[in-house]
This record gives sequence, structure tokens and C-alpha cells, in this order.
Amino acid sequence: MEFVRPDSIEAAVAALQAEGAACLAGGATLVAMMNADLVAPERLVSLRDVAALREASRRPDGTVVIGAMRRHRETAEETDLRDGQRVLREAAAQIANPPVRNMGTIGGSCAFADPAADYPPALVAADARFALAGAEGRRTVPAGDFFRDWYETALEPGELIESVILPPAPAGTVGSYTKLARVAGDFAIASVALALGMDGGACTHLAVAVGACGPVPARRRDIEAELLGGPLGNAEIGRLTDALAEAFDPVDDVRASAGYRRRVAPRMVRQAIGEAMQKLGETQ
Amino acid sequence: MTGEPVTLPVTLRVNGAERPVAAVAPWTTLLTVLRDELGLTGAKRGCNQGVCGACTVMIDGEPVRSCLSLALNCTGRDIVTVEGLAPAGALAPVQQALAEGNAVQCGFCTPGILISAHALLRRNAPLSVDEVRAGLSGNLCRCSGYKKIVEAIVRASEARP
Repeated sequence: MEFVRPDSIEAAVAALQAEGAACLAGGATLVAMMNADLVAPERLVSLRDVAALREASRRPDGTVVIGAMRRHRETAEETDLRDGQRVLREAAAQIANPPVRNMGTIGGSCAFADPAADYPPALVAADARFALAGAEGRRTVPAGDFFRDWYETALEPGELIESVILPPAPAGTVGSYTKLARVAGDFAIASVALALGMDGGACTHLAVAVGACGPVPARRRDIEAELLGGPLGNAEIGRLTDALAEAFDPVDDVRASAGYRRRVAPRMVRQAIGEAMQKLGETQ
Repeated sequence: MTGEPVTLPVTLRVNGAERPVAAVAPWTTLLTVLRDELGLTGAKRGCNQGVCGACTVMIDGEPVRSCLSLALNCTGRDIVTVEGLAPAGALAPVQQALAEGNAVQCGFCTPGILISAHALLRRNAPLSVDEVRAGLSGNLCRCSGYKKIVEAIVRASEARP
């Protein structure tokens, strides 16, 4: 095993082209797996010295770019994330515990792509895109296409995550992330990421992604689009939760049974929408 | 890129002192270097998975897991272990508070608890029970002695000038 610490994205990509190379971000996942003898990369490419990956910025139009090496604690406190984008702040704040949030990064967590992790549904609900860099150049991938399956992403060998890009959220929308877990900081039994806008009783913005109920976050953009412009009452929310349930593919694991996840997730969606409407001063 | 030697010499800044280590393998964690090379056995190897918190140290002023930090990634950083919280023979306020509160049972989690609590106490305000519990949520006590630990830290936060 060799260890390299490049100081630019270009040098990091070059170092990643070797067979068996792996990025080392915060270490919260990769080093734990190395300690457990589950993985032993032939070359560790530490991204610690790549300053560009540690930055976050807000463009004039409200787009927020978060470098892959931003840590959970920093994202939880990111004041550039506003309105519906706040779904990402709330997700980051609920990851693990303070020391792990001081280490773990958004790029590292997303590259691992645990379906019960907190970022995947939040980024899908925020309509985020991943900016990737590889030997062939740069490309962006929508979050909904980035997360492909259990621990599987759109990253090609030799590619790394440069940043996640959140589009502007319409002013006045709210973002929230609700997690049901055995104890605070555990991986989710189920989670709901939401961005919602209402105006005079009519839905102006709706994005709901459910985590930990399948290999990738569940989202039904088709039903969301149909609900825009109308009220969000019990019937409308029921249509959405029924459609989401069709997209669920939960498993039994140490945290909960598949059946429990199917029962609890629609209720969490209903509750999250209700709480968001209260924040917006709307009645259901 | 050509291959590099499997082990590298490294110098870490620990508790204010530059500490050279002759040969460190890429997979060697900071915790292993602290305990096995530098003789600083305060930080404990509990789970070695980042879950239990017994290995918690401060890097650049923030509590982190030394078992999840690779030693080669820690050069140029300011590492503080429980041994560095106060000069030899003295106790930091947080150590004094846990001692006076009898907030130690087997003691295995105590070094990690002290680091997390020390970071919490830098916020210059009295802490509520909930704030302390949230701040210590990454530190497990298998003796389940949380009540006295939390009470001692709350008291320490109230006692500050």
C-alpha cells in the first residue's frame, strides 16, 4: 500500500488512475473498513491538501457549490444554504455525532452510498448535481442518477467527486430532513427529505425523497408535478405516499424490518409535510 | 506515478511537542502511533471503528476519532491527547470536575469523554443537560455512568468565571 497527498484536483485524478487506487477523504468510512480488514487499497490518495475541495460558495443566482471535502459540521452550519436548500443542513446535522461530524465529508459519504445514510435523500430532494472529475475530463450527474444501487454510484474508476451543486431554492420554500433512528446519530430506519413551497393554499414547490426504504432514495417527480398548483390535503398527500410506496424496496436489517419501514415511511412523509406547512403558515 | 516505500518517517505535533516516528505504514492510525510508538496510552482502542469514542483526541482544536485518522494524514496538525489537557501533575478544570463528581467507573471511556467535554466547555456559557448530552453523544460509557458525567460537566460549565 502506498500513500500520496496531491495538492490539486488534477494531481489527485492522475494519482487515482492506478489500479487499486482509492480516495481518502475524512476517513470516517474508509479507515473504519481498513481497520476491519474489509478493504486494503493499493494506493491511498489523500485529498486533504486539495484546497479547492474544501470550499463552499454561493453564486449570485443562489446556486450553492459545496466542495467534496466539506465536513458534516461545516455543512450543518452552512448559512449559504437557504430556503428549501436547508434540507441539506438538517441532514448533515443529524449524521453520527460531533467528533465524526468533525471528520466525515460530503464527498466521502456520498461516494460510499449507504442507502441508510442522510445525504442521499437530502441531495435528491434538493435537485442537486454531482460534479465529477476524471481522466477524461469533468461532468455533472444529477443526484437521482448518481445513487444507483446498494453502495453503488455513477462514479467511474479513476473519477472523484469535486463538489455537489444545489440549484437555488425558490424564495419562501422550506427544507426539512426528518430521520427515524434507534438512537440519535444512528443510520436511518427511514428518513424524509422535503422541500416545500405554498402560496395561498396552493402548492408552488414540492420535492420529497425517502431514504433507507430501498437501494436508492425514493422520489416520485411525476406525482409531485401533478400536485403543483393545487391544495395539499389528505387526499393529495395520500396520492404521493401511495406512489412513493410503489418505489420502495426495503429490506429487513438490524435496525428494522422491511414491513415496519413500509408502515412508518408514509406516516413520516405526511408528518413532514404537515410540519412544513405549519412553518409556512398554511393549514392542511 | 512511481511507487513509494511502504513505510514513511513522520513527525507529529502532539501536546505541543514535535514527535518523530521512524517508520509509519500508510494504514497505521494516529491512535496506533500515539499508543504504540509514543507511549501516550490515554486514548483507548475500544471498537477501532469510530463508534465508541474512547480514542477521541483533538486535532486543530476539534475532537475527532484517532482510530479513523491515518497518521500520515496528520502531519502539520496540532494534536492534543488527554495527557496534554494540563501540565504533568495538574488537572484541567474538566478533569477536576469529573474527579470531584465521582464521575468515573471503570475509566476506559474517560479520556475520550474528557476531550469531548473540554471542547464543549470552550463555549463560554453555562451548558444545559441536553447540550452536554448532545456534545457527548459520540462517547459511549459501557458502565452506563452517564448521569454523574453529565452532571459534573454541567457544574464545570456553571463554575467558570
